[in-house]
Amino acid sequence: MSNPAGTPPVRRFLLALLCLGGIHYTAPWSGPQAVLNAFLVLGLAPGFTSPLAGMAWAAAGGWVLEGTLRLYPHLGGTAFGNMLACLLAFSLVLRWPPHALRPYWGRQAVLVLIHALLIHGSVRFAAGPHAWGTGWLWSLILVPAWATLALRLHPPLHRK
Amino acid sequence: MAILLLGHLLWMILGRGASTRWQNLANLLAAPPRAVSGRLEGWRSARREKVGNLRQAEAELVNLRAQVTGLLTAREAQAPRLAEADEAVRLLGLKKLLPLDFRAARVVVNVRKAPFGGMILDQGEDAGLQPDQGVIAPEGVVGRLWNVGATQSSLLPLDAYNASTGVMLARSRATGVLQGLGPGKAAIRYIGAQEVVQVGEPVFTSGLDRVFPRGLLVGYVSAVLPHDVELLVEVVLAAPLDRIGLVLILPPHPQVEIQPPAGPPRAANGKAAGP
Repeated sequence: MSNPAGTPPVRRFLLALLCLGGIHYTAPWSGPQAVLNAFLVLGLAPGFTSPLAGMAWAAAGGWVLEGTLRLYPHLGGTAFGNMLACLLAFSLVLRWPPHALRPYWGRQAVLVLIHALLIHGSVRFAAGPHAWGTGWLWSLILVPAWATLALRLHPPLHRK
Repeated sequence: MAILLLGHLLWMILGRGASTRWQNLANLLAAPPRAVSGRLEGWRSARREKVGNLRQAEAELVNLRAQVTGLLTAREAQAPRLAEADEAVRLLGLKKLLPLDFRAARVVVNVRKAPFGGMILDQGEDAGLQPDQGVIAPEGVVGRLWNVGATQSSLLPLDAYNASTGVMLARSRATGVLQGLGPGKAAIRYIGAQEVVQVGEPVFTSGLDRVFPRGLLVGYVSAVLPHDVELLVEVVLAAPLDRIGLVLILPPHPQVEIQPPAGPPRAANGKAAGP
């Protein structure tokens, strides 16, 4: 993951696009939607060469998620939280590239919690109090699945 | 990157709370399209209503046309009966004016313009008819019965070449014999050259032939020509022989003079009845 150039950019782009589509089409099921959002923000977006590109994908995921939900404020809180979480994940990957799967799971689990707090806080800041939901729990439980996929898609340099 | 983050943050700050800034801005931006859309919807609604009214009017027009066609057809179907009814009314009026025992008959065939043609009436011996009974119409004298069959009779009109009728002029009271000259025309013979006859003068029956009583209108003088010692007086017949449908048949050998029916009864002391 510290060497994003090692992954074909077209495949990464298509995968992020697929995630956006998944976020859009899983709107009736908030759990899988939150998992896809977490995978895009914490798994795929930090793998882009430029942090700006990653943040743009994260913001796009947040806007798509807000756009698909009817009873949810559409003021950019989710996109803002996504961008902050993506920036944090990007800096962690740069500073401490993942060496093994299980520590990576733990880091992603912590990032899921931080991501959920950031989203909740920014949405609360933008639109006021709102329900927590169970999306963060789905993302946390399914960390081994999506984090493993993300690590295999973006392997660290020393593992090559 | 900072612009992206700060832009989102600014967006959140401007839109947070119960502020209606975005709503007002959105409303402001949406006002022109909304106005255009309102006008468009109003125009479409008006057009829809106009189209609906037009279709309704067209349907009513079609219905009215059908009704008018039906009424015209019915009127055309009723026209002969109405004409006959009018003629019957006039005949009834004539019948009331003349104190004679008339018999009404319908002309079933009119071949008067054919050589030696005439008219066929729908009554014959079964109705007690006999030859030489006079036939009249409200407009004037028509002719006489020529041949009477069992159920029909032929009529010799006044304008037939072999028809002769005793007539008199209205002013001079000179009598003569009317002879047919062809369709619608006849001439009076045996009028002395010393008689003064004016064009347009009415011609009545004289009653001398014992076919018609005296005083029935025959026609009007159309020309007066000297012919040796007599005048040849041409007459245009008053009865429209071409379009006659109902006629009255006079009784055989009627009285020469017929008296008009009595007038309204007068009240005593010489005062007229009524107001």
